[in-house]
Amino acid sequence: MKIAVLIKQVPGSDSSLPIQSDQSWINEESITYVMNESDNYALEEALQLREKNDDGEVVVISLGPDRVQKVIREGLAKGADRGIHIQVDSVGVVDPLVTASSIANAIKEENFDLIFSGLQSDDLGMGQTGIILGEILGMSTASLVMATELSEGRIKVKRELEAGFFQWVTMTLPSSVTIQSGLNTPRYPSLKGIMGAKKKEINILTPEGSDPKQSMSKVYIPQSDKKTVMIDGSVDEIVDKLIETFRNDIKVI
Amino acid sequence: MDILVVIEDNNGKIHRMGLESISAAQSIAKNKDLSIGVLVMGANADELSNEASQYDIDEVLKLKNDILSSYSSDGYAEGIKQVIDQENPKYVLFGHTYQVRDYVPKISAKLMKPFLVDNLSMNSDGEKFIFTKQMFNAKLYSDMVAMGDGPLLISFQSAAFSADNVESGSASIRDISVTIDSSMVKTESDQPFQEEAGGMDLTAAEIIVSVGRGIGKEENIPMAQDLAKAIGGELASSRPVVDSGWLSAPHQIGSSGQSVSPQMYLALGISGAIQHVVGMKGSKNIVAINKDPEAPIFEIADYGVVGDVLDIMPKLSEALKEN
Amino acid sequence: MIESQFTSIEKSILAIAIIVTLISFLYEVWRRLRIVLQGRDSLPFDRFGARAWRVFKEVFLHEKVIKDRFWPGLMHALVFWGFIVFGLVTIDHFAIGFGHPIMNEQTHTYYSYIVIPFSILVLIGIGSLTYRRFITRPKVLGKISPTSGLVALFISLLMITYLLGEANIDPIMWRINWWIHSLIILAFLFLIPRSKHLHLVLAPFNIFFKPFELPEHTPVNIDLEGSEDELDTMLSDLTQMTKNQTLDVFSCVECGRCIDVCPANRGGGLLDPKNHFILDLREPLLKNGNVDVLSDINVEAGWECTTCQACTEVCPVGNHVEKSDEIRRLEVLVEGKVPQEYQKLFTNLQESGNTEGRSDSPLAERLPTYTSDKEYVLWLGCFARYELDPNFTKSVENFANILDVAGISYGVLQKEHCSGDPANRLGDKLTYNMLREHNMEQLKEADKVVTLCPHCALNLEKEYAKYSEVNYDVSHHTQVIAELIEEGRIEVKKGSDGKVTYHDPCNLSRMLDEVDAPRTAINAATDDFFELEESGKNTLCCGAGGGLWWKKETKGRTHLVRAEQVVDSNADTVVTGCNFCYGMMNQGLKPLTPEGRKEIQVKDVADIVSENLISNISVK
Repeated sequence: MKIAVLIKQVPGSDSSLPIQSDQSWINEESITYVMNESDNYALEEALQLREKNDDGEVVVISLGPDRVQKVIREGLAKGADRGIHIQVDSVGVVDPLVTASSIANAIKEENFDLIFSGLQSDDLGMGQTGIILGEILGMSTASLVMATELSEGRIKVKRELEAGFFQWVTMTLPSSVTIQSGLNTPRYPSLKGIMGAKKKEINILTPEGSDPKQSMSKVYIPQSDKKTVMIDGSVDEIVDKLIETFRNDIKVI
Repeated sequence: MDILVVIEDNNGKIHRMGLESISAAQSIAKNKDLSIGVLVMGANADELSNEASQYDIDEVLKLKNDILSSYSSDGYAEGIKQVIDQENPKYVLFGHTYQVRDYVPKISAKLMKPFLVDNLSMNSDGEKFIFTKQMFNAKLYSDMVAMGDGPLLISFQSAAFSADNVESGSASIRDISVTIDSSMVKTESDQPFQEEAGGMDLTAAEIIVSVGRGIGKEENIPMAQDLAKAIGGELASSRPVVDSGWLSAPHQIGSSGQSVSPQMYLALGISGAIQHVVGMKGSKNIVAINKDPEAPIFEIADYGVVGDVLDIMPKLSEALKEN
Repeated sequence: MIESQFTSIEKSILAIAIIVTLISFLYEVWRRLRIVLQGRDSLPFDRFGARAWRVFKEVFLHEKVIKDRFWPGLMHALVFWGFIVFGLVTIDHFAIGFGHPIMNEQTHTYYSYIVIPFSILVLIGIGSLTYRRFITRPKVLGKISPTSGLVALFISLLMITYLLGEANIDPIMWRINWWIHSLIILAFLFLIPRSKHLHLVLAPFNIFFKPFELPEHTPVNIDLEGSEDELDTMLSDLTQMTKNQTLDVFSCVECGRCIDVCPANRGGGLLDPKNHFILDLREPLLKNGNVDVLSDINVEAGWECTTCQACTEVCPVGNHVEKSDEIRRLEVLVEGKVPQEYQKLFTNLQESGNTEGRSDSPLAERLPTYTSDKEYVLWLGCFARYELDPNFTKSVENFANILDVAGISYGVLQKEHCSGDPANRLGDKLTYNMLREHNMEQLKEADKVVTLCPHCALNLEKEYAKYSEVNYDVSHHTQVIAELIEEGRIEVKKGSDGKVTYHDPCNLSRMLDEVDAPRTAINAATDDFFELEESGKNTLCCGAGGGLWWKKETKGRTHLVRAEQVVDSNADTVVTGCNFCYGMMNQGLKPLTPEGRKEIQVKDVADIVSENLISNISVK
């Protein structure tokens, strides 16, 4: 059983995001980078599946410049067996077709049974790479997965639907699924894991990718031109003004 | 046609986000002489195409196919891809629903054409279209452009366009077909189910009273229930309230809950995190009460009160009951 | 007293009984001591005089026993003092059995004038304690304990048989009475090592060996470049108790004072320090015969601890009760099982060097930078730097104002990283050491460090020193302020803050041993100061310690227990000496203040002093 986990390195949620003067991207120097949150859950799911089935290989894959080796090592420290670094200057790589096709070219000989990735990245938020990759490699795909059950030649996944609904979908292997945050409790790397990770292999590859079909022309801070009417005063005054607003302005009572 | 709108079935009626997509198409096509087609499929295709034909579009494409009568990502992706091949639209519009996120990337891969997702707007700069989306959990915006020719696959965020603005008209219905055989579908889906008993349909409510972390503790929920009753609205909440077990999942509004656009949304003690906002920003009137003047909710609120919800709620309920 | 001859048979039986009992007693004691001696590190003999003095105060004067629970404590003291007095009596009793009393008739009579009143006192003592244990049944004593019942019976019977023995009764009755008394003593001896009454033997030693510094946990030296074998040894050491900790387990008297004072327990949490940190380990120690038992500590309970050391402070037999450090480090370093909210905290510390994952601090940028010509490094701490409670920023500025008025130079370290307290208390010793090494490098040129955060102070001064020598002195800002007031370098007038009280931060009062300095400062600024219940070294933790500030969903109300006490005290202003306490008071007071009552003001010591400072350089 070979499971690949796609991991993206993204700015931390509390990191500052200074925009470059030409507005083409953010200034990467002052950013603190972390593993994308839903990818962390995907990794945990893969590790748990491997433990449940008592065999198999978990390979973490990340695309980007040298700094992404850090999240690959994190994956190795948590228990993945080896890593693949697809070395690319990722500034400007925003098209998931490009990302997915690069990864596909790098791993097509590997014949993974499963590819897990997070639902979407916390930076660009395209939410497509895992599905596109699965489609390119001829795998079955599913997104927003909240639970997985592996059986012979198949994987059953619980997809999250809108309005509190869920649905179980049985898929033939090989399969690429994108995983929603919250389905498990990701482990923290143990000391042994951290030390052992240093010895595990990271393969560096530079495959071809497709030509980009979409690009970013500008990055900027959102302006809001909505004018909020603030209501103040004592609690009693506020209540009176609210009732007036409900009645006369919004007309709901 | 130029613009193909793919709508989703909501029990025989066009899903609200499908109407928003039609509204988007109409807005984009205005003054540009672009033709609009609406693709309708699935078990309720007949009802849906009747409804769609009452809008100001050029034609309704009705696709009836056994394999496509229920959703599968392989089926829908292949089916719609063939429709695109047949009809050759420049732009294919979708609402950014969970279902769309599941299968449209596959179409993108099949065609090797871009899927521009979750857009807030699509504006022309004279030469080409600029797609604006949020990034970094809505902290920043980005403008995206497509490279090469279409078709471009495009999805819009909930309430980026308004379903109320759809213009009526009349359109003809054309039957179309695709060739799919069952071996193409690699998945088998069970019936959708809810995890709690008793579903709540907040999408139908005119007034929603919604509580967030600011409610403090479970013991204060009855206060909110009281208010919802007094004002004639439904009770809802943000995710943390459900996660803490103070309300059950059907109450949840947000990216992983329900999406609503009531006449009035009363946000009590809700900070306004993007995951919640995405589910309610289509509300016609948003009234927010929060004790933090910097809370992001005030950026999208129409009316705001900086105050303690625990002080205001009971008094408001009382005043409403008196009236 | 009747001079009686015991037959040879009786003497033989007596001799055998005594020998058998003694052997059993010594065996059971030795069995436990052998396990203790397998523990890590050595038992401390330094500061011999201070240790001996502490034994005198806490054992002979029963200081802690009485202080925390006055009446039961006093009753126990009566029993204890009775025991001491009875020592000689007991030896004499058996000596009589062998026909060689050690006291002559006169001495015996005079001594009985002391012993008889004591035996009455003991009866009163044991009577009321029995009533408390079996009728009133306070929850912290746990289930009904048969051994306690037996011991109560034994002690009562011993007193009664003693009194009968001193009375003029029929010789045959006297003899029977004598044998009863002897057999009970032997039964008691048999029972002692097999029950919590072993504290009779071990408590004085345990109190002698009790660490002076709180908390006391073995440092975890991690060498990332080390060999696999070195790592394995280090990891397996983590499950081994120290000698002192093992002695603690066998000394525990199960009184439950630690439960009484535990903020997590009082907030309705799961944690029960008596059982989770001490008694749960007794069986594993005895069963294994070794000290490899730390992984038997209840994990969930371990995560609830605020590490406030109230349990350690109150224990009358000298136990270092708290062991959250031990179980958390096992979970983090060995198991990799860390609660989600803490994983983000650790990642932030590793990636950004602070708890919030931020890269900029407007406060740090506004303050002067430290250069070696300045007197103090003003250590900010993550709480102040990244505005975990934005109101506290003013407190830092108020302290800076006080320093300015006093003409003291200071600066902040621009590359200050988190002192590491959250990582340290939550078991992530790897991240802790990373931060420690970075900070030690930044503090290379430093001489004096002052900080508003007692957690930082504790780590910079004492915890870092467990790993390597520190070259600087650390003061808490209240100590500097108190010094300035006492030396007349600043003048403070009495202000108008209404009824003012002070909440002692646990890190400051218990662990840094500082209760006076804040009071000196506050009393300079107000005439209307009153003490809260549980103040000084008995302070009740605000609930934010041990990393709990970052634990989003807590089951219990640990974080509100102290706030409730403050509200109930009817104070107008509560002053604190710690930014976490400050933040917790701000969060907790409002929801707990009843309708109509004025909001209680929360101030730091720096606030109340700066606001009442007679000359201001920058008016706040």
